[in-house]
Amino acid sequence: MYPFWEVPLVTSGMIIAFIASFHILPSHLATGAFWFNAYIEREAVKKDRPELYDFLSRFTLLILIFCFVIGSITGVGIWFSATVASPRGISGLIHNYVWGWATEWVFFFLEIATIYVYYYTLGRIDKESHLKLGVAYALAAWISMVIITGILGFMLTSGKWIETGGFFDGFFNQTYWPQLFVRTSMMLGIAGIYATIVASRMKNKAVGQEIVRKASLWGIAGMVFGAIFTLWYLFKLPESVKDMAFHGGLPYLKTLLCVAAIAYFIVLLYFIIFGLIRPQMAGTVTGIIILLVLFIGIGAGEGFREGARRPYIISQYMYGNQIIARDVPALGVKSEVAKYQEKGITKSLYWAKHLDLDRAEDRIKAGRMLALFLCGNCHSFEVNGIIRPLPSLLSRVGVEEAEDIAGFMDALGDYPYMPEFPGNDLDKELIGEYLATLPKGGE
Amino acid sequence: MDLAQFLNGMRDPSGVPFFPVVFQFLMVLTFTLHIVCVNVVVGGLAISIWEAWKGGPYGRRLARGLAKASTIILSVAIVLGVAPLLFVQVIYDPFWYASNTMSAIWAMLFLVWVCTAFYAAYGFYLGNKKGDAYGELKLFWAYVAFGAMALAGITIHTLTMEALLPDMWHKWLIDGNGALLTGGARFHGMALGRLLHFFMASFAVTGVYMILYAWYFSPRPDMEPEYLAYVAKKGVNIALYGTLLAAATGFWWAGEVPESLGFLSNPVFLLSVLAAVIFILYLANSQNDPANHAIPITVLLLITVFVMSYAREILRMKYVGAFDYSIFAYKLNLSWGSTLLFFATFVLGLVVLYFPLLCAFKTGRTEPGKVVVIPEKVGSLANILLVGWFIVVAGLGIIISFKNGTLP
Repeated sequence: MYPFWEVPLVTSGMIIAFIASFHILPSHLATGAFWFNAYIEREAVKKDRPELYDFLSRFTLLILIFCFVIGSITGVGIWFSATVASPRGISGLIHNYVWGWATEWVFFFLEIATIYVYYYTLGRIDKESHLKLGVAYALAAWISMVIITGILGFMLTSGKWIETGGFFDGFFNQTYWPQLFVRTSMMLGIAGIYATIVASRMKNKAVGQEIVRKASLWGIAGMVFGAIFTLWYLFKLPESVKDMAFHGGLPYLKTLLCVAAIAYFIVLLYFIIFGLIRPQMAGTVTGIIILLVLFIGIGAGEGFREGARRPYIISQYMYGNQIIARDVPALGVKSEVAKYQEKGITKSLYWAKHLDLDRAEDRIKAGRMLALFLCGNCHSFEVNGIIRPLPSLLSRVGVEEAEDIAGFMDALGDYPYMPEFPGNDLDKELIGEYLATLPKGGE
Repeated sequence: MDLAQFLNGMRDPSGVPFFPVVFQFLMVLTFTLHIVCVNVVVGGLAISIWEAWKGGPYGRRLARGLAKASTIILSVAIVLGVAPLLFVQVIYDPFWYASNTMSAIWAMLFLVWVCTAFYAAYGFYLGNKKGDAYGELKLFWAYVAFGAMALAGITIHTLTMEALLPDMWHKWLIDGNGALLTGGARFHGMALGRLLHFFMASFAVTGVYMILYAWYFSPRPDMEPEYLAYVAKKGVNIALYGTLLAAATGFWWAGEVPESLGFLSNPVFLLSVLAAVIFILYLANSQNDPANHAIPITVLLLITVFVMSYAREILRMKYVGAFDYSIFAYKLNLSWGSTLLFFATFVLGLVVLYFPLLCAFKTGRTEPGKVVVIPEKVGSLANILLVGWFIVVAGLGIIISFKNGTLP
């Protein structure tokens, strides 16, 4: 076990969730914007309309300054936050998909090379070549999405990988294609919003409104296709996930989907009203408000994807507490649950090697370590914790004494969204003794 | 459980999908490119501040040029940095993850520093873009950018050093009462010689960048030859003295390394010293006409940094080797398909990259107002290759999806 980073009230998992949700805005804009840019530039080249270049310059600068740095920093930020919150989880992904990420990195590099050259050569190289630079960026950026979707999809549905351990068997899993189409549609929607903001600020109002209309049509197409592909995505989810989400297991998942759908609908209305019917009303303030709405919707959608994975962090393979749930014979990986249930965790915990388990105070310290490692990724330990506070949850199910809590550990596997307890009787006793010291949280 | 057992037990059970030496080589190669860019940003900001203070009209123009470069090169540095960050997690996962989790807040703050540095660098560049190229500069954002870069450097240095000292981890993480520290707020392992070495190297690399700048812009009629000569002369001096200081602090760093590791007698370390000596001698010999030696100087610099990066990697192997950890002992689960995917994409990427680089190179050497014509086939080939990549991968994906029953 690695050292543990404890984030009071919200858990370290929420830090990843926040950065990941925020990352979606710039990253999807980075992947989607240049399709629209290339479309507008094509108009400028083919119909000889130089007035459109003002938009291209402004839009590219926004993408450059906002997307590239915020997008790449938050992208790296997801890695860093996953590293500190779930090191074994990110390690499992990286050791199986390092070449996937490395391949994506090649496209990142192409993106940065093409976007800077595109921006700084506007009006300085022949128009056809400049258009091709824009297309090259659009392709490279979208291909980076084609790749990362495989890895994200693998976390939700690991496909045949569990049997074969094969890179492509996990990559092209059952939710890969729907997710790719949903994200591709969504990137057009996000690009549409940004384009309306930039176009609404143009000095040439007539050109600005024309672009607002066009961007809105792109946005509407993105939202409509996104909705259709979302249905396909939901349909392709494993039955266990559908049960959990739609048949009472984890009702909050349905709520998240509703929030995402409402946000989606509001964005669609924005495109229709401020884009098509009254393009002169589109502006920075409305654009930013709608971006916030979209951010909430994305957060809810990502929350659904994260929640639907429960109890796993990597589908069927690794639990949320970073314990390996089953054998993967093709890779020579053994289940750690079985190992720890037999041998116990505490005895093999490097950080607990100085503790004397015959002393009551050391038992509490060992129990706290176990609770952190086994529960702390998903549960806060404060009675007023925001994310699944353990004191409240234990009180709610009526287990507050050490023996009761230890006994309750055996029942964890009965909940479809909880991992089975990966430890022996000593571990259960220790965790019970520690959790019993927390303030009681029930009514 | 002893430390070696603990460290080796933390390796990822999935193993690695290709021979570790390949990941190691790619890690060193991409780190070299990354650190060169970081050096240009740090050195460029420091020199632009100095030139804005003391440089006169040419110095102020140079400061503007470096301000613009710092924004672009920082973006490139961020993207390039992703690769060594990825590969270090493949072969040194127990060390990297442990240091990051124990100083988690600092790992998160690293992102804040980099973001701040980028936007401040942009503030510095845009704030001085308009008006007289030789006029006074507003420096507030330059100070912020430089400070943020320094903090980012200190943070990543500390995370790296913590990773190399696993025998200290238990002491660092267990408080006086025996409880596990979980706040992630402390950091340890500062090695001043090492930190200063990277800082001094920034001047060496930026000096070379300035020589290259003078060479690159020399055909442009709108660039004053006196200005370019000023930049080249400054560049070669900064590169020379920067390299000497980097060498001095490098020996300081070497003195910080435990003698038991036998690093100072390692052939790669000795080779890095030799490369640095050749580089210094060549710089000294190019004092009179540095711009004409720009390409060999740049090549020598890259070779020197690469060999030094390899020496740094050897040092890391020695540090972890003291705990019976070897990257070559990693379990192999060969994945030929994904390996081929990467290397084929890498080659394709280099071919595609030729297109934007050609556009940039030609445009930069042409005076503003003139339109550069790029051969039509270059751009078309780049885009055909990208579309071709997608068709091949998507085709493969569809076949696999139907075979595995994940489609329809």
